[in-house]
This record gives sequence, structure tokens and C-alpha cells, in this order.
Amino acid sequence: MEDYKFLFKIVLVGNAGVGKTCLVRRFTQGLFPPGQGATIGVDFMIKTVEVEGEKIKLQIWDTAGQERFRSITQSYYRSAHALILVYDISCQPTFDCLPDWLREIQEYANSKVLKILVGNKTDRDDREIPTQIGEEFAKQHDMYFLETSAKEAENVERLFYEIAAELIGQARSKDGSSAAAAAAAQRQSDGSSIGLASLGAKAAQSNCCGGLANAGGGSSASNTSQGG
Amino acid sequence: MLFDTSSSEISDQGLLRIAEEEEKVNNKLEQLLVKQCQIEAKMSGIGRAMVLLHTVDSDSTKLNMQIVNTAQLAESVSAKVRRLDLARCRASECQQRVHDLIDLQLCSQGVVKAVIEEDFEKGAAHVARFLAMDQQLLHRTADDVSITSVSDAVQTLEDATEKIRELISRRFDEAVKSNDLASVERFFKIFPLVGYHRIGIDKFSKYICLKLSDKAQKELRNVQDIAKAECRLQLAYADRLTSILENFARVVEVNQPIVEAYYGQESASLIDMIAILQEECDAEAKNLLLEFNKNRQIVYRSKQVYECTQRSSNGTTSSNSIPSLGHYRKPSGGSIDKLNPKEIDAIIAEITVMHSRVELYFRFMRRRMQIHVDTCVPEKEDQIIIMNRYERIVKNADLRRQMQEILSTYLLFERYFMEESVLKAIGLDKYEAGQQCSSIVDDVFFILRKSIRRALTTQSINGTCAVINNVAACLDGDFIAALKTPLKSGYTSGYIDLAQAYNAIQTTLQQGKLHSTDADRSRTNFLVQLNNADMSTEYIETLCQTMELEIAGTFPCTTPVERQLLDSCLTELKAVRDALKATVDFGMQQLRSSAIKPRINPWINKFLSYSHNLTEEELAIYEAEETFVQFFIVHLDGLLNSFKTALSPRNYDALVSILATEVTIQLERAIKKCSFNRLGGLILDQEVRALGTYLTGATSWSVRDKMTRISQIATVLNLDKVSELSEFWSPDSNKEMPSWHLTLNEVRAILALRIDFRIEDIKRLQL
Repeated sequence: MEDYKFLFKIVLVGNAGVGKTCLVRRFTQGLFPPGQGATIGVDFMIKTVEVEGEKIKLQIWDTAGQERFRSITQSYYRSAHALILVYDISCQPTFDCLPDWLREIQEYANSKVLKILVGNKTDRDDREIPTQIGEEFAKQHDMYFLETSAKEAENVERLFYEIAAELIGQARSKDGSSAAAAAAAQRQSDGSSIGLASLGAKAAQSNCCGGLANAGGGSSASNTSQGG
Repeated sequence: MLFDTSSSEISDQGLLRIAEEEEKVNNKLEQLLVKQCQIEAKMSGIGRAMVLLHTVDSDSTKLNMQIVNTAQLAESVSAKVRRLDLARCRASECQQRVHDLIDLQLCSQGVVKAVIEEDFEKGAAHVARFLAMDQQLLHRTADDVSITSVSDAVQTLEDATEKIRELISRRFDEAVKSNDLASVERFFKIFPLVGYHRIGIDKFSKYICLKLSDKAQKELRNVQDIAKAECRLQLAYADRLTSILENFARVVEVNQPIVEAYYGQESASLIDMIAILQEECDAEAKNLLLEFNKNRQIVYRSKQVYECTQRSSNGTTSSNSIPSLGHYRKPSGGSIDKLNPKEIDAIIAEITVMHSRVELYFRFMRRRMQIHVDTCVPEKEDQIIIMNRYERIVKNADLRRQMQEILSTYLLFERYFMEESVLKAIGLDKYEAGQQCSSIVDDVFFILRKSIRRALTTQSINGTCAVINNVAACLDGDFIAALKTPLKSGYTSGYIDLAQAYNAIQTTLQQGKLHSTDADRSRTNFLVQLNNADMSTEYIETLCQTMELEIAGTFPCTTPVERQLLDSCLTELKAVRDALKATVDFGMQQLRSSAIKPRINPWINKFLSYSHNLTEEELAIYEAEETFVQFFIVHLDGLLNSFKTALSPRNYDALVSILATEVTIQLERAIKKCSFNRLGGLILDQEVRALGTYLTGATSWSVRDKMTRISQIATVLNLDKVSELSEFWSPDSNKEMPSWHLTLNEVRAILALRIDFRIEDIKRLQL
């Protein structure tokens, strides 16, 4: 038997050619294969990571961006724990399509799904969307925000590890809250840890937007430091 | 060695030890002496061997010398042989050149004659012979020997080659124009002889394309007539597409041996041909699909479907706040422009046929290519290059893209069909008297199975996965909502009378129709939906198992990634079972709070009305009359019987389990309100045992576990003396008794219920 504590499904969506497949390949295989053909339907990768001492299996669904695969890719939204919405920072149209993608997510995905906005290709010189614009868009729509470069392997690991950490937090707080309700009169040591977990969950929820800003600020800071 | 010689005793001991040592040394020496003989014998042997070795040494030196000599000789011989060989090679080359030159003369004479006589086969054969010669060498030879006849011949042949090439090309074009198949084939076979492989393939492929295009256009114009004649109007376009693909496949099949025979030396010939044919195939399929889209109103219908789903998804989000309305979206007919799912059923079927035919076509071509490279391309690397080129052709073929688009349409329609049909099944849900479940379970699972099966017939893994996902979404959404709605409103409406519910079900069972009150109907509905949910957990398992088998049958050779993809989607479908189980649990809790808890309460209260401080006489009287447990079991039995036929076996077991939990909790509470004497405790212990036996007998599940705590309470209350407890308490003394579910403090509190036990004894109790 495989030994892991949590299994999370992460689905990547976004226009064709924004680099979804490259992000996944970079993360799962450490490769940046240029000249990739367009993805057909969906592709499927697995990587086991260790976060906070827990083994976590990430099932990553890499979807095709082209319109004609939409009815295939949509069917995967429902079971996703996290949705990564990717755009290309050097291509305005990919950013302009984001509201359409959000509508689709709204329609097919679980309402509690974790949403992350990712501006990919920070290695490009011909940036068209400033970090701040992306950040604000994410804040407006209650999403995390991160800028990445699959080519330079920048922020790619961080993206997936933060998602894993966030999802663990959610899973624990869910378990914790139900357990707390069921066994209010349990031993004290248990009770206190449950209390902490649910507190943490609340903090995470109310902090959602703050977290976004932090994530964005962090990435831009690292960008500038790299530039210098 | 130093010895303490102070006392004679110690010195004696020392002496003794020395004596022992001496003996040991003697022994060792003796052993060594025994070996001396052996060693000497060996030494003499070695001495003799030495003499022999000397001769061996001198012999081997001699041998070595001889070998060196031989090697030198051999080397000088082989050098001569090499030189000879080289000379022979040159001689044969020279011979070849002479042959070439002779042939050259013959060819140059023959070719001119052949051209004049229009015997192109012969002419081309001469040219082929000429082209097979090393052109550079020929030129050099011509220069070297400076014999004009050679350079003249070369010149003639070069001219003739050009002329023949041009002539053949022209003749081929003329043959195409006059539609002379025999000549076309004749010249097609000549092209490779004059070195025009690529052009030959090109021209011939284009000719075939032209023919096929004519045929396809004719067919396309008469799609409807042909279909009518074949009585397959529903599949008119799928049949035409099949015929297009069959034509192309046949062309490849027929011409592959010809190409291999005449163009064999150029390994890329067949793939060149296929590339050209595929382009034409793309174009023809595109025309057909345009016609299909127009005739079947795909765009219009897609729009309708899209609008419907858009509307209903808005509908569900708004009605989610009023869950009772959740699934009562009007199933079709509500508005005029709403698409009837039956209308697209035929189109869905046609699309699946189209998609599977294309998959089949590509599979056929790939197999042809594989056979071709295996037999005709010797180099492994070239094989891979050609196969990769084929994969690229397939991947970039417009036909592929068209199919991806049509698959998208299929998925849209299939989802609409499935969701609408499921809603219809929910709307038409019918409960047959005497059944535990209603029609909804069979109907919905029938529809879902049909959808997945149909997805399998597309031969597309991506499509199958998407449909499985949609099935899971549909079950998790509409279906569970439909089951859950009546459960949410609870089992009763205002008053609790199980006798009535029981009667209602009985009358339905007996008379086969519902004519009772709304409350009765809602109660029946509650139980039916509860059974439906339970049955669905089983159905979903069966569905997954059968689909797993059918998937394995449809896609016998999948890549690991595709396998994982399918498995993951099936796992997701299986996970819906958990949601269904949660629905069952939810219903059970509803049943518990509205039907069981309030019902048991008055019966338990009766326990309080009995005295538990009994004299022998009172005990006799109590036992003579109806005891509490008799009364209680009769009522419990009545309660359970009212559900036994109405609930599915698993649900009934769950009900008994819930009932047992509830009974023990309430009974424990009642016991703690009473006080007992010795006989009261005895009676209680008997009664608890009787109750345990009854409940255990009522179900196949083990409820004994749930009874442990209450029987332990009874055991404690049935003690003779407080001190007796220690016999029961230590876990290894009594194997039958499971470990204690009571804490020491609880035991003390229970003991205190016995009025004849002294508080001090209880307090002193140490365990």
C-alpha cells in the first residue's frame, strides 16, 4: 500500500499556451521541455511531497487550454481541491479571459475550492501585466496570487507547497471542528489541540485576503532582489 | 615466573602447575616430531620436482622462440594476402567499371531507340542502369581515358534521362486527364526507374485524391438519398464518413505492395503518400462535417443546450436556498424552445459512430505503417523516424481536430441528455406497493449506465473519463438532492403515531395504492427514499465494477497514464457512495429523533413505576404478572415489526442498532433514578439479559457490543456483597466478560443505588 496521509487534487486551467504543462513538468519532473505540443484533453501527474512532516500525494490535472476541450476539462472541476488559474504576464489576452474562467469555475467547481491565480513567464522581458494588476484582480476575487517562471523554476515549488500546506490546514480544521462538536467532553489534551486547529482555520479564513497580499508582495520582492 | 614460595602449600601448587605445563610442552613437541617425517618426505619430493621443473623451463623457452618465429612468418604472409586482396578488389572494381562502360554504350544506344519506339519500360530500365552507376566516377573515367565515345555516351544518356523524365511526366498527366487508369499505373511504376520517386508518389497520390474527391462529392450530394435507400437516415453522415475513411484505407491497402515493390529503395515513399492522402482525407471529412453540422443543426442545438444548462444552473443556485424545490425543475416541456433530450439521442449516437470510425481508421493506418516499416525498413533508427513522422501527421491532421470538436459536442449533448433524463426519472418517480424501493433507482442507474456505455463506443479515453465525471456530478447533485429532500422534512408531521405509519404502509402493501393522508404518504416516501439511498450504494458499486470490465474490454492496450486517468475517474465515481451513505445516515438520525426516541421514552418511564425493592413475596407477584421486560419487548417488537418489511435489510439492521443504542441510553438513565435491593438487582439482571437476547435476535448485526455497558451495570447491581465485585473486576478472572466499560467512580455510583450496601463498604472498595 502507498503510504500517504492526504490526497489532494489540483487542477490547472487557463488559456492555451500560458505554460500550464510546463509548470506541471517543472514541478513533477524538474524539466522545462520547450516546444511542447498542445495538451490533448487532460494530462495527469502525481507527486508525493512532505509538508509539516506529513506525506501528501498531489494529483495534478493538467488541462488543455483550447476551447474545443472545454467540455472535457470542465468535468474535472467538481472533484478538485485546488484550482490554479494561470495567465501569461506577457500576453494581455490571457489576462482578459480570466473573468470567463472564473465564471466557469463558479459554475462547475465546488464553492469551497481553493483558488490560486498564477502569472507565469516572469522570465520574459516583454511583460504586459504589472504584478500589481494581477494582485488586485486576485484580491477582488478572493484568490491567492503568485507569479512564477516555469523556465527559471521560480516560485514553482513554492506554489505547490503552499497549496499543499493550505489544503492540509483546511482538512485538519474540518476534521477538528467535527470532532470538537462530537466529543466536546473528551480529554483535555485533545480538546486544546482541537481548539487550536479551529482557531487556526478561522485565522486563515479571515486572513485570506491578507495572505494574498503577502504572497504577492513576497513574490515581487523576490523578483526585484533577483533583478538586482 | 614469580611464585609466592612463602608456604609449602602454595609452592606445591606452583610445582603442580609447572608439571602440567611441562607435560603440555612435551605433548606439543611430540606432535611436532611426528610431523617431521612428513615434512622430510615432502622436501625430498620437492627436490625431485625441481629437476623436472628445470627441463620444463628450458622446453618452454624453446616453445616461445618457435611461436615468435611463427608469428613473424604469419604476419609477413598476411601482409602479402592483404596486398593480394586489395589488388583483387581493384581488379573487380575495374571490371565493374568496364562492365559499366560496356553497359553505358549499350544503354546509350538502347535508350535512344526505346524513346523513339516509345517503349518507356525499356528506356527507363536503361536509364535506371545508368543512374545506378557512380556518376562522378563515370565523369572522371570519361576525362581520364579521354575517349570521346564514353563522354558521348554519358551525354546521350543524361539527355535521354531528362527526356524520358519529361515524357513520362507529360504522359502521366495526359493519362490522368483522359482518366486512363492503366497508363497511370504504368507510368507510376516507371517513375522510380528514372529516379523520380518523390515526383511519382506525388503525382500518383494527387491522382488518387482527385478520384476520391470526385467520389466523395458525388456521395455528399446524395447523402440523404443513399441513406434513405439503406434505411439508415439516422446514421446518414456517419455512414458517409465511414465510406470516405474506408476508401482511403483501401487505397493504402491496395497500393502499399506496389509502392513497396517499385519504390522500396526510398523508405519514406509510403509515408509521403499517406501524408498527401491524409490532407485530402481531412478536406473531404471537413466538407462532410460541414454538411452534417448544417443538416443536423448542431450549432443551433448546442446553443439551446447551452442556454438550458445555463438557465437550470441559475435555477439550482437560486433554489438551493429552498431545498424542497431543489429537484423540481420542470423536466422538459416547460418552455417551447427547450430541447427534448430524445431529439438529440439519435445525433449523439451518430456522433459516437463517427468518432469511433475515425479512431478505427487511424488505428488501421498505424498498423499498416508499422507492418510496412517492420518489413521494408531495415534500420531501427529509420523505423522510428518514419513512425514519429506518422504520429505527427495524425496529431496535426485536421481530421483529428475535427474529431476533438465533435467530441466536445458529443459531451455537451450527452451531459444534457443524461441530466435531463435523470431529472425526468426523478419527476416520474413511482413507488410500487410491495417494493422497498421506487422506480427512481433503477431508472437513474439505467440512464447513467447507458451514458457511460455510449461514451465507451466513441473509443475515446478522454471522452469516457469526462462522461464518468459527469455521471458522478449528476449522482452527487440532482440524484442525492432528490433522495434527501423528503428525508430533510423528517419522518413525522406533528404527531407521532407509529401504528398509523405502520397501517399506512400495510394498506399500501395490501391494496397496492395510496389513498391515505399526506402525512402517511410523506412517511412512506421517507422510508422509500431511505431504502433508495441504501440500494444506490449497492448499485454504484455494481456500476463501477461492470464499467471497469467494459473499459478493460474496450481499451485493451492503454498507456500507464491513460490507465491512471480512467482509474482516477472511476475512483471519483465510487466516492459518491460515501455521499449516499451520509444520506442514509442522515435519514437514520432523522428517524431516531422523530420516531425512535420519543416512542421509547414512555415505555422506559414505565420502568420507573415499578418498585425495585422487592420482598420474596412481591417478587413472586411481579413475576406472575406481566414483567417490565415483557411489556417492553412486546412494544419494541411492535415498533420493529412495523419497519421490518418497509425497510431494506441493511437499513433495518441500522435501525435495530440505533434502537439498541437509544434503549441502553434511556434505560441507564432510568436505572440511575431508581434504588434497588438484592432481589431488585436480580430481577434487573435477568431483564437486561432478556432484552439483550431479544435485540441480538432481531438483527444479523452484533448489537451485543452496545449492550455491554448496560449488562455491566446490571451485573454490578446484582452483586451479593460489595466485596464480590473484585471477582468480576479483574479482567483475566472472567473471560466471558468483555473489558469494563464503566469507570471506578461510575461503579461506585451504581453500587450506591443498592440500598442494602453500606456507603463505607463502597468507599473502601479498591480495585
